[in-house]
Amino acid sequence: MASKTGSTPATYSPSPATHKKKRIPIADVDWVRPDSRGFYQCRPAYLRTGAVSPAAGSAYAEFGNTKVIVSVFGPRESKKAMMYSDTGRLNCDVSYTTFATPNRGKGSDKKELSSMLHKALEGAIILESFPKTCVDVFALVLESGGSDLPVVISCASLALADAGILLYDLVASVSVSCVGKNLVIDPVSEEESYSDGSLMITCMPSRNQVTQLIVDGEWSTPKIHDAMKLCLGACSKLGEVMRSCLKDVVTDLKE
Amino acid sequence: MAAANGSSELYSEMEVDAFRRLFPLRYHEQHLLKSVRTDARKLGSARDTTLALGAVASADGSALAKIGSTTMLAAIKMEVMTPTVECPDEGSIAIEFHMPPICSPLVRPGRPAEAASVISKQLSDTILSSGMIDLKELCLVGGKAAWMAYLDIYCLDADGSLFDAALLSAVAAFSHLNIPVVSLNEDGRIVLVSEDNVQLKLEKQPVNSEKRKLKLKSPPFSLTCLLHKNYILADPTAEEESIMETVVTVVLDSSYQLVSLYKPGGPVLAHTSVIQDCVALARRRMKELHSVLNEAISDMEVD
Repeated sequence: MASKTGSTPATYSPSPATHKKKRIPIADVDWVRPDSRGFYQCRPAYLRTGAVSPAAGSAYAEFGNTKVIVSVFGPRESKKAMMYSDTGRLNCDVSYTTFATPNRGKGSDKKELSSMLHKALEGAIILESFPKTCVDVFALVLESGGSDLPVVISCASLALADAGILLYDLVASVSVSCVGKNLVIDPVSEEESYSDGSLMITCMPSRNQVTQLIVDGEWSTPKIHDAMKLCLGACSKLGEVMRSCLKDVVTDLKE
Repeated sequence: MAAANGSSELYSEMEVDAFRRLFPLRYHEQHLLKSVRTDARKLGSARDTTLALGAVASADGSALAKIGSTTMLAAIKMEVMTPTVECPDEGSIAIEFHMPPICSPLVRPGRPAEAASVISKQLSDTILSSGMIDLKELCLVGGKAAWMAYLDIYCLDADGSLFDAALLSAVAAFSHLNIPVVSLNEDGRIVLVSEDNVQLKLEKQPVNSEKRKLKLKSPPFSLTCLLHKNYILADPTAEEESIMETVVTVVLDSSYQLVSLYKPGGPVLAHTSVIQDCVALARRRMKELHSVLNEAISDMEVD
């Protein structure tokens, strides 16, 4: 029996992934989003801290079908032999489950996402507060439903706060896709796949500082302007939701 | 031990938390003397167990199992393969157990945990040898196409008794599995019958419209027990497992037949009577787990 599973034969998924789904009529100004949201309406966010008990801090985030768990370990000894450093180090890793995407993936580490997560968080953490040690931020995307990176970043900052790591501010992240003439906020995978351009802002809402800005694809200057405004507005709202999530835990403890 | 005895005065006035950290074994043994565990459980009782079916929308079958704070997420994806020449009318099941770095401070990215591959092997041996699933049911077109069920189990929170939780989530994922309806196209490939496809090409008959659910024949359930001196601790936590190292895992199927039994070494040599006690505990636990599974299934049907 075991030998049969040991050498896995070539398999294929029966779902037609090769030929694309019919494009939505983007020329129309009033097309409807796949989950019938408004263009400027984010998916409802469900956030919870303390999802993983052995971690120093952890958080679970669910934005529509995008489901993410982030654990924070440390400050602890760095496993990599590195030079002495006065400031602490941040180590990030993002991975996907094999069933996160419609077609079964390898479930491997996402190097580029890990580095983007690192860059987005680095600016918000007071690294001087834990010299010589390392804080590990590990993220697992349970299910990918679009806007994965912004959700991972927001969830990670919540987990860092839960772990009691000193931060300048919470980090909230939101992305916008440009589909035809329209801007759609917090896009789902389907919208991401046929977008002409995407913009992601990671910011610290109460300090009004941007830690990361990524612009891809085709944009006109006024559109970028609109998209940034839209993102910053959504970030400050998301920041409030994250803050209240942290406060709820404390008030629950007091009661 | 000599040092510990000499410092008896020291630890009489030590805070409980500090004592627990400095003398973990003594701390646990003092509890065991009073027939109670550090989390106020009795020696033979397991932690609260919950099960939620259909946790992952992108999978064909999925389940989230929690035993205490140990959390497992299992999901099945169905793909099509050409069956082997030896068994032309059988599908196949590939089981993999993952311990991502989020689940425990001991796992680091890039290096898969040793425990993960051990549990992976145990799980596939247990599930395939229990006869729970008839591989013939996974056949689509004899000799041409059959299902390959990819079962992936992720440990989201590792707090002891990983195998038990993983097996429970795996069994639950199989009971939640909805096999997609597929048909054979002109090229001899199996394609999904989606809703708009049905209207377009009615001449294509689905291959498996009547076989949407797998029949599970007496699913297996397991209980891990920790042996320490004369004590048997059912369903140990990660802390207990790290301090007292001998474990016995008993897997029974729903008709009380022994499927497998693991005792991977450890300092305690188990007497046959101890093994019998473990099996008795596993029998009791099997009933609990079976009702947890049935409840989860009936909850699903109500929705």
